[in-house]
Amino acid sequence: MSSVRLAFSSNGACPLSSMAEGARGVIVEVHTHDEGRADRLLSLGVTPGASVTMLQTFPGVVFLCDQTELAVERRVANTILVRLQETRP
Amino acid sequence: MSCHVVNEHAAARPKVLGLRAHPLRVALVGQPNVGKSVLFGRLTGRYATVSNYPGTTVAVTTGRALIGAEVCDVIDTPGVNALDGTISEDERITRDVLAGAQTDLVVQVADARNLRRTLMLTSQIAQFRKPTILALNMVDEAWARGIAVDAAALEAELAMPVIEIVAVEGRGLPELRDAFVRAAVPTVPPQLDAHQRAAWAHELTGRVRHISKLSLARIPEALARAARRPLTGLPILAVVLYALYLFVGVFGAQTLVKLLEEGVFGRGINPAAMWLADQFIPVPWVRDFFVGEYGLITMGVTYAIAIVLPVVATFFLMFGFLEDSGYIPRLAIFCDRIFRVMGLNGKAVLPMVLGLGCDTMATMTTRILGTPKERLIAILLLALGIPCSAQLATILGILGGISFAALATLFGVVLGQMFVVGWLAARVLKGERSEFILELPPIRWPRFGNLLTKTRLRVWWYLGEAVPLFLVGTALLFVLDRVGALTVISAAGRPIVTGLLGLPSATAQVLVMGFLRRDYGAAGLFHLARSGQLTGVQAVVALTVMTLFVPCVANFLMMIRERGLKTGFAILGVITPVAILTGAGLNYVLRTFGVQF
Repeated sequence: MSSVRLAFSSNGACPLSSMAEGARGVIVEVHTHDEGRADRLLSLGVTPGASVTMLQTFPGVVFLCDQTELAVERRVANTILVRLQETRP
Repeated sequence: MSCHVVNEHAAARPKVLGLRAHPLRVALVGQPNVGKSVLFGRLTGRYATVSNYPGTTVAVTTGRALIGAEVCDVIDTPGVNALDGTISEDERITRDVLAGAQTDLVVQVADARNLRRTLMLTSQIAQFRKPTILALNMVDEAWARGIAVDAAALEAELAMPVIEIVAVEGRGLPELRDAFVRAAVPTVPPQLDAHQRAAWAHELTGRVRHISKLSLARIPEALARAARRPLTGLPILAVVLYALYLFVGVFGAQTLVKLLEEGVFGRGINPAAMWLADQFIPVPWVRDFFVGEYGLITMGVTYAIAIVLPVVATFFLMFGFLEDSGYIPRLAIFCDRIFRVMGLNGKAVLPMVLGLGCDTMATMTTRILGTPKERLIAILLLALGIPCSAQLATILGILGGISFAALATLFGVVLGQMFVVGWLAARVLKGERSEFILELPPIRWPRFGNLLTKTRLRVWWYLGEAVPLFLVGTALLFVLDRVGALTVISAAGRPIVTGLLGLPSATAQVLVMGFLRRDYGAAGLFHLARSGQLTGVQAVVALTVMTLFVPCVANFLMMIRERGLKTGFAILGVITPVAILTGAGLNYVLRTFGVQF
């Protein structure tokens, strides 16, 4: 798992902002050219390979990234690409 | 001077324990909100402001501790998420502490639940080549959520001591102290870039952390969920605001103020002071200086202690509760969209709410905001529209007695004005706003002891700041009154005050004095209203102008300190006409439509 970032292709990945509440996934890529944003997300643990669970989509996007609960605005959520996991019944 | 201590540990790691000329310097480093300040308090017996919101340990706190036989200087650093790349002002401070030659040892304090992020930071700390200990804090909360970290395995992987602790209860602290002699530079893969570091942390976490489905923390989690969802969050906000009003507006501003003002000062201190003055001060003007109409004791001390102190103290207690419980970051989610219109983001909710206690303190706290533009807008809006606790007390005290419509008018006008000015500022000022990315700490029941200490420190800060200015303000007022300048000032301001604003001319002097101390001016209005010199409409207009008006001197000085002389005067130059014109407009509208409150 050590080259997690490279191992996943972006195919089949969707932006975090499109996830429904309760959906789970794994971050594939943080797609941004804004270095400040990338660094801030990285330092909060938003990195490829981290598991995410969508908690809330309105008024702000709130998600669980590994064990950290994060709130972000939509513009930021658009740049985080996630590979969805099958939801088990 | 070379003193070699014959001790196998010390010999193996000579930098850590041994004889030296200065105390061992220990830096506590970690993410925000992982319990650094609590651990600091446990180690040193001193208290550092504990807070749930990033950015509240503004400066570095140092305290002395005896660990084993070693005297240590423990440094409590601001919370950091990263030490390289794009970093904040706070993170730079911590990096400087780590890089400093005088720092001998590092204790990385970590939230046991967030091992991935902890390890990412560990690998950055390792670059500073200091002997380090990893203290995994809050292991009890981690267990309650079904998260177990194999500390022994992690210790073997990193070749540094890994100690599990519960800092608030003092558990694991003896083990932590014992581990100081074993501190070592953590073994992490060298020269990692940010992504490799993340991948390494991810992989190592996978090996030493076990998560089970078990969760014993249902109630706090349900509360945390309810607080951030619109359907439940808005009613919770209403309850919080109502509780704030009951505790600060009713209990603080009415019950306690009455007790102190009428009881302690009205029947005790002031008559006693007057009696003493009559006995021992033969010169009438000296007597008046202390106990006259503008007397230091009868006016200055009475306002500071009897009217302002109860409000400030109750507010800070309540604010500390909201802060420690983890509620404020959830409130930020709701405010984000509205604040974005004003060029801010949801994070600005902290300084804005704190401003309801003291705008000066809040102005200082705007440092947590991301960009210079945001800081400027927040400082401007604080000065313009956020009433401090003393003003709130006056507003509630005067208008609460008139009608709800009067209160609603004032708050409507002030909020509207903030919105307009914020919207304009967001467009006129150069620069960017930062994006809203905020960590939500777990909801916790605040520790009562922490709450009291924190409130005490803030009240002390306020008193140290306020009481001297109150006294200076009173003395100045006394002098101005004696030399007849008050009449001149009132006369000069009369065209504006009586003409444009339709207020009695005595208000001119209150508004001018309000600049010396905003709350002081508020208290002056209180006096006018109580003695029946204001009608309902006049009270609304006067209080609106007062709320919007030039901030107090302390706030003004803080603006200059934070943003420079030019910006300070520019803010002053914007606010003064806005306040007067808004007041004039409001006066005109209310009179034209014949509104009575």
